[in-house]
Amino acid sequence: MFSRTSIQTKANIISISLSLAATFIITALLIILIGKNPIEVFGNMFSEVFLSGYGIGQTLFKTTPLIICGCGLAFCFHASIFNIGAEGQLNAGAFAMSLIALKLGAFPWYISIIICIVVAFGVSALFGLIPAIIKIKKDVSEVITTIMMNFIIMALINYFLVDFFAVKSTMHTEKIPEDMMLMKFSSITSFFQGSSLNISFIIALALAVISYIVIYKTKFGYEIRAVGFNPSASKYIGLSPDKIIIITFIIGAGITSLTGLNFIMGYKGFYEYGFSNNVGFTAIAVALLARNNPIGIIFSALLFGVLDSGGLAVNEIVPKEIVLVVQGVIILTILSINTIVDKKFNIAK
Amino acid sequence: MELFNSILTVAFLTQVFRLMTPYYLGASAANFSERGGVINIAIEGFMILSAFSFAMFNILTHNIPLAIFLALIINVVFALLYSVFTVKLKINQIVTGVGFNILIAGLTKFLMMIIFHSSSNTERFEGIPDNELIGKIPLVGAILSDYIVLFALILIFLSNFILFKTTFGLRLRSVGENPEAAESLGIKVRRYKVYGILISGFLAALGGIWLASEQKSFSDGMIAGRGYIALAAMIIGKWKPVNIFFASLIFAFFEALQISIQISGVPIPSQLIQMLPYLITILVLIGLIGKTKPPAADGVPY
Repeated sequence: MFSRTSIQTKANIISISLSLAATFIITALLIILIGKNPIEVFGNMFSEVFLSGYGIGQTLFKTTPLIICGCGLAFCFHASIFNIGAEGQLNAGAFAMSLIALKLGAFPWYISIIICIVVAFGVSALFGLIPAIIKIKKDVSEVITTIMMNFIIMALINYFLVDFFAVKSTMHTEKIPEDMMLMKFSSITSFFQGSSLNISFIIALALAVISYIVIYKTKFGYEIRAVGFNPSASKYIGLSPDKIIIITFIIGAGITSLTGLNFIMGYKGFYEYGFSNNVGFTAIAVALLARNNPIGIIFSALLFGVLDSGGLAVNEIVPKEIVLVVQGVIILTILSINTIVDKKFNIAK
Repeated sequence: MELFNSILTVAFLTQVFRLMTPYYLGASAANFSERGGVINIAIEGFMILSAFSFAMFNILTHNIPLAIFLALIINVVFALLYSVFTVKLKINQIVTGVGFNILIAGLTKFLMMIIFHSSSNTERFEGIPDNELIGKIPLVGAILSDYIVLFALILIFLSNFILFKTTFGLRLRSVGENPEAAESLGIKVRRYKVYGILISGFLAALGGIWLASEQKSFSDGMIAGRGYIALAAMIIGKWKPVNIFFASLIFAFFEALQISIQISGVPIPSQLIQMLPYLITILVLIGLIGKTKPPAADGVPY
């Protein structure tokens, strides 16, 4: 058992390093291909992202939703639930969060925030429950239902925004009360001056640690992984795969709603259509890269956060869209190299 | 009432048949892949890629046939890459599909900036000309004179024939239903899966090319989820070419209706009509409107 774990760890380290190296080389080649200097591009990105308080703050700000959403998806993926619907789920929760926040002016701020989190979590969880029930009752793959739900949710939000809740001629809701806004790092130390980094980042880190403990150190986490590894065998050790799939889907989808904290309560003060900027899909890559380990997710989210905020830094040399290409390349290299390395180490899937 | 009248016109029906084309091509693309047992949610990405490459080569060379040819080649190459991931390396098909969609969306945005210095759209170009001779036929001429629309209509019968009347189709289907049995009969299972994916890439490309040609430019987000609606059409069509055609037609009807509603100013929220294809798909999947079942070994790597 121990040796198996250590082989797996060794394989993980090798495949992650190889994937990053491969991505680095492919990106460099791409930059050379368009006649620019890759060292200059990477240098600019590095100095912009790491050498100023603002840069670090912005990077961590963009890392936050990826950690949160990645952790939610990690639960799903451990149970072998292919939740492609995080984008819709998190938007539903965040939209609900912004609406309920507007109604809670009478409560003290800490109670309001807790109510907001509970409501947002519940709404996102509800949209995770639907595909879960369809999967269990009708044996329909969650992949298709969650993809379809993404479109349905976004259309519904668009409708409710335009016809009821949006500030006139915008695509965002009204601003929530000022006292419900989360503390920004820049108000504690001038180091992060001007960046949007806020307490949500700490919440995200705590979430990752809790997720790690739940998944790897509790009976429930063991059950999730057992069902994910082999649902029919898990029945023989007394588990109910259906029940676990439903609970996991609810938790996973619910967690994604917390991305709303970062944007709504930590940054803008309102829900804005399209705020998530495909975090729900990028987080799939984040979770994969970390092999669904929540602690690893902190680092893979950071990598994608660096890319996200580094794009602007290199925009003068190469279009910032290059980071989107890099993200795509990372996903495909990690997928292929993982598989090849696992084969070399004879790790059965 | 005005809206009702506008629907009962030849122009509206022509519109429906034209809008059906990308859905049907995308759905057929997905179907050929899934009949071989490989789920392909990268149809969206394939359509984006082909629409962009057609636009790019059309603008750069002003040679429409060449642009079509190159766009098809590029898509088939990507389809081949998709088959390396899903068939050779047996990587999870869903995750691979998501990865391809993210990569292609990023790649086209990047190339747009590099080549056209715009993040939103390319310059305009000449679309694929219609066949003038067919265009002279009354009523149906406006539909059939478009080569790709015409091909899509022929494809209904062609794909039905290929899948159900040829050895190739029988083998492809057996690979998607029961690969072990197919293997024991001497069928090269993996090779047939690759064939299915390549056909998939080719057909999805035609859908993307048609959209770009119709719009006479490429713009970011122009595929707008049509690749996913195509998947829905395939599911609702129960993996059968003729049924898929009708499912595509229904989705095209809703799209045309939505355009008519917007023009007529009738106060029906367009977002609610936009979500209908997806909602219908879920209702079909949970068995409220008929039953549907994928190939038995769909999504299972072999």
